[in-house]
Amino acid sequence: MIDPITGLGIVALMGALATIAGAAEDLESDVGSQSNPNSQVQLAAQMDFPHRIFNKAISGEPPAYGLWCATGATVASVLLVQGMSVIFAIVIGSFAGAIMLGLYSVTAHMGRTASQKRFKQPVYMDMVIGHVPSIMAHGFIAVFCIVSFSYIMWQILEHPFPLPLLAFLWGITAGAIGSSTGDVHYGAEREFQNQPFGCGLNAAFSGNIVRKAESGLRNGMDNVWACAKFGGPVTGLALGGTVFFDNWRSTVFEGWTAVLAGLIIVVILIFANRLVEVQGRKAYGPFKDDDGGAEA
Amino acid sequence: MIIDPISIALITLGGVLIGLGVHFIPVGGAPAAMAQATGVGTGTVQLAAGAGLTGLISAGFMYNFLATSGSFTSSDYILVLASGAVGAMIMITVTMFMGQLVYVYCVGVPPVSAKVDKDPITGDQQDIYVSKGTEGHGVPTVSFVSGTIGGLFGGAGGSMVYIQLMQIGNAPADPAIIALAGIFATGVFYVNAVLASYNIGGTIEGFHDPKFKRVPKAVISCLIASLLCAIIAVPIMGGVS
Repeated sequence: MIDPITGLGIVALMGALATIAGAAEDLESDVGSQSNPNSQVQLAAQMDFPHRIFNKAISGEPPAYGLWCATGATVASVLLVQGMSVIFAIVIGSFAGAIMLGLYSVTAHMGRTASQKRFKQPVYMDMVIGHVPSIMAHGFIAVFCIVSFSYIMWQILEHPFPLPLLAFLWGITAGAIGSSTGDVHYGAEREFQNQPFGCGLNAAFSGNIVRKAESGLRNGMDNVWACAKFGGPVTGLALGGTVFFDNWRSTVFEGWTAVLAGLIIVVILIFANRLVEVQGRKAYGPFKDDDGGAEA
Repeated sequence: MIIDPISIALITLGGVLIGLGVHFIPVGGAPAAMAQATGVGTGTVQLAAGAGLTGLISAGFMYNFLATSGSFTSSDYILVLASGAVGAMIMITVTMFMGQLVYVYCVGVPPVSAKVDKDPITGDQQDIYVSKGTEGHGVPTVSFVSGTIGGLFGGAGGSMVYIQLMQIGNAPADPAIIALAGIFATGVFYVNAVLASYNIGGTIEGFHDPKFKRVPKAVISCLIASLLCAIIAVPIMGGVS
């Protein structure tokens, strides 16, 4: 066992890596438009709104990131066994994961867009060339950070799971968090800036996404620019918080005390959520009068 | 050939707990990502798996610590279950809280349930805060608490499957056995999460949602599916004498 002070430093480093990983993961899904908000990008052309937004939804984000991270960690593990230095092994492994992400991005985008020919949605080749490197770059950062903190957990904290399995599980968690938090910024806000602020999206406006940018036509690069201001960092904090809190309690405390510490964190978050809920209710709505009838 | 019935029963119970836990987690699917439905803006399986597998990582840590330092007692068993459950609860609460920050401070919607007129926990009126053309938005307190309970069941269920497989393998420090048990537990988790997801049919707000009444059907189907998984898993882990 390592001493508690060193342990805390290691856990903090893992939390920092997870924060960067979470932000990069979410921003990658904004450049390439993956996960739930992509349903609107897909729908837009069918609703007679052809666009220049990159359209890829390879799969749900959790299995996708499980695959990229497991690929990266497997390659890194093989290279580590061959005696390569840790940093080089993880960098090369992450590059392999990013290449897979790039390959799937091209096939997913071109396949999806080509299938929308009947809706007059063009395949813009300049978009493929322009967006895929950015997708791969964000993916590389996310995979590198996830494999790195999985390596620290495996090698230094002596977690029993093999490195590829740990990276696979953390990849699934990163994808789940990315698709639950940051994607809401992209889906509910950025895609529908043409709708009034302060209420949810009326289902009647589904598919009517914003297609014009601050300059010219909007594409994935414009979306990631906006989402990097809130959705990305919040996703990073969520993954960083999960990794930090979960490991902090088992590093500082032992046995049932660690369980109790975890429960206290959960209870604090329930109350914090209540405070945010009250603020939200004060700021927006009600949208109807007290009888639930006419719009106020 | 004898297969330990207790191991089969406990793996099956773990699977049923996972299926039950998924029903508590408030997920709004793609509509929630557009603030058109209450809950977290992702799919049922995605979020449940993310939480449950985080719990599995915590449980794996605790099991390794306890099983390699001496005999593994019944109280140790419960401690590993609790550790897995709390790991999943931390993941799901952090995710729901951060998602809530996006809903309130970025999208600009009040957290509200469209399935009940008043929040059963806080007593806040809900119906008048549902904006036009939506089925609610954000994560109100009742859904948040429900999601926490879902994390508890999912984390405990996944951990139970993992511990039982490790007990059958009877080699707590063998990386091959650990990897096999870990990936099997992940598989059992996905089987039950997907089954529960079919039962939910896209979106659910939590235990106050009328869809929650479908739980008995999920319990039966998860029981059968987990039993089949257990019958396959136990011999592979070496549990045949």
